[in-house]
Amino acid sequence: MTAETPRTSNVFVVDRGEPKLRGGQGLLAGLGVVIRHFGKAFTKKIESPAESSGLFTVQYPEERLAMPEAYRNFPILLYDDQTGHELCTSCFQCERICPPQVIHMTQASDPTTGKPVPAVAEFIIEYDACMSCGLCAEVCPFDAIKMDHEFELSNADHSTMTVNKAGLDRPISYYESIAPTMWAEVRDGAMKKLQGNMKRRSGDIGIAPPMKGKVQTSAPAPAAAKPAAPAAPAKPVAAVGANMSDEKKARLEAIRAAKAAQAAQSGGATPEVAAPEASAKPVAAVGANMSDEKKARLEAIRAAKAAAKAAQEGGTAPEAPAPEAAAPAPEAPAKPMAAIGSNMSGEKKARLEAIRAAKAAAKAAQEGGAAPEAPAPEAAAPETAAPEAAAPAPEAPAKPVAAIGSNMSEEKRARLEAIRAAKAAAKREASNDES
Amino acid sequence: MVEIVRYLLGGWLADWLIYLIAYIIVTTILLIVAPLTMMMQVWFERRAVARMQDRLGPNRVGPAGLLQSIADGVKMFTKEDIVPRAADRWVHLLAPVIAVAPVMFMLAVIPWGRGVVPATINVSVLFVVAVSSVSAVGLMMAGWGSNNKFALLGAMRAVAQMVSYEIPAVMALVGVVLLTGTMSMAVYPELQSGIPIMGDTLSKYGVPDLGLGWFIFTPVGFVGFILFYIAVLAEGERTPFDIPEADSEIVAGYMTEYSGMKFAVFYLGQFVLNYALSMIAAIAFLGGWQGPGVGLLVATGEPFLVFLGSALSVLYLMIKAWFLFFVMIWLRGAFPRLRVDQLMGFAWKFLLPMALVNIFSIAIWVSILNWGSAQGLWFLDDLELWMRQLIAFVVTALINGLAYYGLLQLNARPKGLTGADLAEEQAFGTIGLPQR
Repeated sequence: MTAETPRTSNVFVVDRGEPKLRGGQGLLAGLGVVIRHFGKAFTKKIESPAESSGLFTVQYPEERLAMPEAYRNFPILLYDDQTGHELCTSCFQCERICPPQVIHMTQASDPTTGKPVPAVAEFIIEYDACMSCGLCAEVCPFDAIKMDHEFELSNADHSTMTVNKAGLDRPISYYESIAPTMWAEVRDGAMKKLQGNMKRRSGDIGIAPPMKGKVQTSAPAPAAAKPAAPAAPAKPVAAVGANMSDEKKARLEAIRAAKAAQAAQSGGATPEVAAPEASAKPVAAVGANMSDEKKARLEAIRAAKAAAKAAQEGGTAPEAPAPEAAAPAPEAPAKPMAAIGSNMSGEKKARLEAIRAAKAAAKAAQEGGAAPEAPAPEAAAPETAAPEAAAPAPEAPAKPVAAIGSNMSEEKRARLEAIRAAKAAAKREASNDES
Repeated sequence: MVEIVRYLLGGWLADWLIYLIAYIIVTTILLIVAPLTMMMQVWFERRAVARMQDRLGPNRVGPAGLLQSIADGVKMFTKEDIVPRAADRWVHLLAPVIAVAPVMFMLAVIPWGRGVVPATINVSVLFVVAVSSVSAVGLMMAGWGSNNKFALLGAMRAVAQMVSYEIPAVMALVGVVLLTGTMSMAVYPELQSGIPIMGDTLSKYGVPDLGLGWFIFTPVGFVGFILFYIAVLAEGERTPFDIPEADSEIVAGYMTEYSGMKFAVFYLGQFVLNYALSMIAAIAFLGGWQGPGVGLLVATGEPFLVFLGSALSVLYLMIKAWFLFFVMIWLRGAFPRLRVDQLMGFAWKFLLPMALVNIFSIAIWVSILNWGSAQGLWFLDDLELWMRQLIAFVVTALINGLAYYGLLQLNARPKGLTGADLAEEQAFGTIGLPQR
């Protein structure tokens, strides 16, 4: 008796082609499959996951499976093979995003100016707590931190699990060898950014420890040529920046010389030669690292001062070297003059400025009549004598005048000083007239 | 061995002492060979099964992992021997002994090579069959003495399996006894000389003795071999009949409460039994130590060549036994195991009837080969032996083939059942053969 259960859904009959009467054919087929696997296991080794027979075993540690490119284990820092510069700028993004907060870093700063530079001073990752999420590599804008493939890091010494920058640094060629496609996608952008960052690093800041001493560092700070002592005159003067170009430095010194001349004049009524350095007041010692030009100029200044003093005592009229009254203001206020070309050499600029100052002085003299102070632009005797005599950078007459901004261009500065000189001259006239 | 001892020490020793010493030496050799063979078997099984599963086996301990068995042996030696407090101490202790001792007995009557029989008995088949039944007592003692219901269940299943499969095995061997006319296993290989199928019948025409006249090349021998081999798998608890020791099924069956060396003794007994039964299968159906060259070497009569022939014969038996063991491993790698009801059904409903039919066929074979008009078969009188062999071949092939087909049909799952009826039929019915 058979019970028929009523069928409520479709019934699909699958015909697998099995023979009606099975007398062991299936068993033999199964034996055939197994013996095929047995044979293949001696002759073939599985290379890709798509194969179904062959030896599957990877005899670790003699053989290892190749990791896919995007395999991530622990982070490493990259540095350029040729220049030795690390890509890391200590931007802090990886430390910020790290979930277990195992990344720690400090930014490098310039040893002379103290300003931060886009390089990392020390970088520490605690490998034992790192969870290999790869977020630091994802978020790094400079492609400096990447995920390594190395996983055989077991160690009996726990302290080796905290890795510092020297332990994290790897050349870009290493990363390229383990993840070529991923590196090729980001290489151009990363190298461009690296070039930009390299410009802002000085000395051997940002060079990976393995490459230190082997690559040429950028031009050392020019302060090395001009040592610290003479670079800072007695007056509070901003130190000559280490990164200043030579032209800038020459101009700055021209300005200072002019001021010094002016001061000396107010004190001794004798214009000086274009002397960049020091004034009648306490003179810094001639530094041992001074260049010869500087030395010459310094001597010239001192000679001029001495002459002025002598002249003063001698009561002679102002001397001739009006033209060299190295005025800080290169241009005469009345005539619109061509701006100093930016491509002029330093010396040329200084000379030009001196000439212009002399011209202006002559004019002022003409306008100012027989005022004994020939180098009118510099007169401002009461003004300059009173406050810090010949304060170079921020010229502060009795009127409060805005300090010359450090970011002003040369031309602006020159014009400003010319204006001030003119004003001073006018004032002198007024006072002269009054008195 | 007796002659060797007598030659060495014959002068001043009494005869019985010579025999005693000789047999002690033989026994020692056998008892050393058995565990060494077992170690080789374990290594071979682990490596072969691994390759079938697309992996390497143990390969670190020693070259190619050959010392792995020694490492396992050391582990078993050093393990603590735990006996449950409520267990029957003596029964629990003696069970492994009784399970394994018969296996060692069996090794004594097997002809290891030409002229290399430790003990020549003229009823060795009977001896082997009788002794193998004693193992079942050992299993039952293990299950009962553990005081563990799972062990008891496992032991009952194991004993049922062993007892059930002994019958087809014995029936297959009985067929060989009929075929050869003797129960002495030592003689079987000698009777399987000649060429395949035709056996010895063409030797008088000058056909050389290739040593390949094995019984397996005849229909009756072929069926007998298949029956015997399947029964041997079940005797030795190999997959697909390893329900008593299936790791995932019943803990470890009757071996659950055994640890350390006692477990190792069970394990040893199992492997040696499988090897011994493989040897018996080889002797009865595959020609034993018979093979190309043995007969020729022996026939020359020169002592050195005869010795070489004996050595070759030992090698042949080893090759055949190891090949049959490899087939056991092959089956283990390929098949899932049978449920215990499927197992019993297979033995009683398929193997036993087939074995009985085989005996009938063998009887026909023997009669065709030997009878004539004296027994009423006048048409066989003038036929040459090889003609008789051919006729017997055809007739018995027909009988066996028909029986096989018929039994498959009889055992096939009845068609047309659905739902609960089908489930019921499957649970208590046939052995899982497909629908008619």
